[in-house]
Amino acid sequence: MALLNVDKVSKHFGGLVANHEVSFEVDQNEVVGLIGPNGAGKTTLFNCIAGYHALTSGTVRFNGADISQLKDYQVARLGLARTFQIFEASGDLSVVDNVMVGSFMHTGSRGEARRLARDTLEFLGIAETARSMMTELPVAAQKRVALATALASQPKLLLLDEVGAGLNPSEIEGLINLLQRIHREKGIALLLTEHVLEMVMAMSHRVIVLESGQKIAEGEPAEVVKDPEVVRAYLGDHYVKRQAKEDGDA
Amino acid sequence: MEAIKNAFDFSDLPKTELSLAAAVLVFLLGFPALPHSSFGMSTMIQFLAFSLYGMGWNLIGGYGGQVDLGKAQYVGIGAYTTAVMMIRWNVPFWFSMPLGMAFAVGWSFIIGYPLFRLKGHYFAIATIATSLVLKDLFEVWDFVGGARGLELPIKGDFPNWLYLQFREDYYYYYILLAMFLVGLIYVNGFRHSRLGYQLRAIKDNEHVARSLGIDVHWSKIKAYAMATAFVAAVGSFHACYNYNIEPEDVMSLDLSVLIAMMAMLGGAGSIWGPIIGAAILVPMKNYLGSWLGGQAGFAGMDLALYGLIIMVIAAAQPRGVYGIVEAVRARRR
Amino acid sequence: MEDIAIQITKSLVSGLLMGLVFALVALGLTVIFGVMDIVNFAHGEFLMVGMYTTLLTSPLLGIDPVLTLPLAGITGAILGVMCYFGLIRFLIKGPMIAQLFGTFGLMIFLRNLALLFMGSEPRVIHEGWLVGKSFIVGPGVVLESTKLAVAVLSLVSFAVVWWLINRTKVGKALTATSLDAEGARYMGISTEKMNALAWAVGGASVGIAGGLLVNFWPVEPGVGLLFTMIAFATVALGGFGSVRGALVAGILIGMIVNLPPVWDAMMRLVHVSGLDIHSFKYTMVYAIYFLIMVLRPQGLFGWKQ
Repeated sequence: MALLNVDKVSKHFGGLVANHEVSFEVDQNEVVGLIGPNGAGKTTLFNCIAGYHALTSGTVRFNGADISQLKDYQVARLGLARTFQIFEASGDLSVVDNVMVGSFMHTGSRGEARRLARDTLEFLGIAETARSMMTELPVAAQKRVALATALASQPKLLLLDEVGAGLNPSEIEGLINLLQRIHREKGIALLLTEHVLEMVMAMSHRVIVLESGQKIAEGEPAEVVKDPEVVRAYLGDHYVKRQAKEDGDA
Repeated sequence: MEAIKNAFDFSDLPKTELSLAAAVLVFLLGFPALPHSSFGMSTMIQFLAFSLYGMGWNLIGGYGGQVDLGKAQYVGIGAYTTAVMMIRWNVPFWFSMPLGMAFAVGWSFIIGYPLFRLKGHYFAIATIATSLVLKDLFEVWDFVGGARGLELPIKGDFPNWLYLQFREDYYYYYILLAMFLVGLIYVNGFRHSRLGYQLRAIKDNEHVARSLGIDVHWSKIKAYAMATAFVAAVGSFHACYNYNIEPEDVMSLDLSVLIAMMAMLGGAGSIWGPIIGAAILVPMKNYLGSWLGGQAGFAGMDLALYGLIIMVIAAAQPRGVYGIVEAVRARRR
Repeated sequence: MEDIAIQITKSLVSGLLMGLVFALVALGLTVIFGVMDIVNFAHGEFLMVGMYTTLLTSPLLGIDPVLTLPLAGITGAILGVMCYFGLIRFLIKGPMIAQLFGTFGLMIFLRNLALLFMGSEPRVIHEGWLVGKSFIVGPGVVLESTKLAVAVLSLVSFAVVWWLINRTKVGKALTATSLDAEGARYMGISTEKMNALAWAVGGASVGIAGGLLVNFWPVEPGVGLLFTMIAFATVALGGFGSVRGALVAGILIGMIVNLPPVWDAMMRLVHVSGLDIHSFKYTMVYAIYFLIMVLRPQGLFGWKQ
């Protein structure tokens, strides 16, 4: 039984088809990448899974239960956490307070929540920022706090929406190590979207490719990148033809 | 048990603030013993009352970021419950006050459910609308005295603890001071509670809050109900203290606005904000009023000045006076 | 039965006329909101300023109140621009809470400034072309010339604003700013100027509304609040930011406020008395706002979320 089972999920916005009958699974011990060019419907699919959008049709099962009809916060309580592509920190809360909001999902006790929050910050290696205000931190650090907050809610599956966006190569390197530790040491399954392929390819056990709202390929990263459909989706028909011609010439 | 410990735990606040607060507390406890005019005494009682109103406002307005401009309806519910029950059935204050709080909380659930589907300006205006509808109803409802309001009869000898009737103001002062301290400790506990954290997360970003398993709509309704209870309790007190209530006095928009202003001026979302706001605005309003308003040709000068100050603060430091304090502290660091 | 027919016609006619006044009051609010996403709580106080302008300048200049309307409009526009540059420009940088707070301060300031200079006495215009004159258009149906003039001028103002927004270059820039301020800035439109213009147009229209209103409605420093609330209800019903919506919604609300006589007449027929429906006519305005916002937040013609 897969942890997450997405079955023929479609999402229409009026006449616009954002996702069409997408199906895939994520197992408890997996890291799955969801890739596709800009506008392929990755974020919409995330929002459908996490309960932010009502599905037009199809079902989403999580941990054996049908969550298609549940609201976003109910889905979250079942152990499906997510991060957001655009994260704007503001407000009155310090870093540790922010993370505590996550840990309050499973406890009503402030002491317990604080302990959990500190452990999580420690785990992510940012314990020293605990008392800073969110607005005092650089964006990369703010994103890491958002990740810590999601982790503190002790999820079974973490949906990561473009976590690497806007980071430089060495920061991405660090993030990959961190995510792999989260997966290995905490046993949390990961589903990540990224239109920068480097990160997804380095981490994922399996990759799902979306184009124009439909799944066009699925498989191990090394195979998927060779798939002509995928190459076409990313680089366009013209490139594929020229490539074929060059191959023929050679 | 832990909730009580949290309520008394002020350790996360800066030392300077705590020592200042302690000094203020000593002053408040000793104030009736100091030489003062009856005008000064009534100003202090108003200060305490508005601090409490502001603390209630702050729960949902400050921590939750939902600008509520209809708090007066709950002042009215509290005041009218106490007044009507005392006049008709001789019910003492100590029974009618919790009942008034219960009525207010009940009403807050009824209107809170649709209200919190709105956001921002729309929410703020809708709270005004509900408050005015209730006021209009009270003005034509004979059972509660209509537009003329109610006069509370004197019940026997002074001091009368059951009905909260005293000849000397310091009785009222200490009762309200006790409520003030209970309120302060309650707000401190709220701040440290799960709901307190969740509400601040909601104010920050509702989408993120939802992704952390927070039922945003329900959390707002809950906090709104708590905020309401505060305000209704002081409303009950107000009825006994004033002996006379009418819709125009306890349910007016001006009162709602004043409550919100004080909390916002002091600093919405900080524990001291409402107290700072009340400490500035109540004496300013009273003394400006008696100084300028008393002189012929100066009526309105006080409140115009007051409006001007509010504008300047809103434009210069949207986080209120406490925001200025924080900004200064941040610069020093 | 005849009685009811007359009552209904009377209510509808006076509702229509009153509605056009409400629409004019709401016009300024919706223009400002449409362009800037800011709700001006001092809107009714702008109306009050317009009312006092006509009340004071008419005897001072020795001209009829109707002729002072341009002055009321100019005063409103100047007030709007002053408020924009002196206050709103700073407020929009802050959070929503600061905007509410700031325009509330403005409301208190203007209201009490009026109290300081004008006193709390309600004042009316006693003389003028429009005052106290009326036409009888049918049995029992009386058209007061003041309200008729107000209605006509309200329509004229709407036409002018509509023309300004839809048919002029400036209006297109205004629309662009309201749709996407950032984008408009890239296109070389000075959003600062556009915002100021919105406040000028908004202020002028509400100033004129005030100048008209004072012909039949007494002015006192606290007069603004009721009209602020009516304007909010109107704008909510019509859709925040919609000019056409403000017109339709204003008329609808005018009708609703003037319905109680109809109910009265019906009640007299079935002999149920004792309930005074008149005291609820403005309660209904607040209730409408609440219901509209909850059930259909975009209003009749709104496009802003």
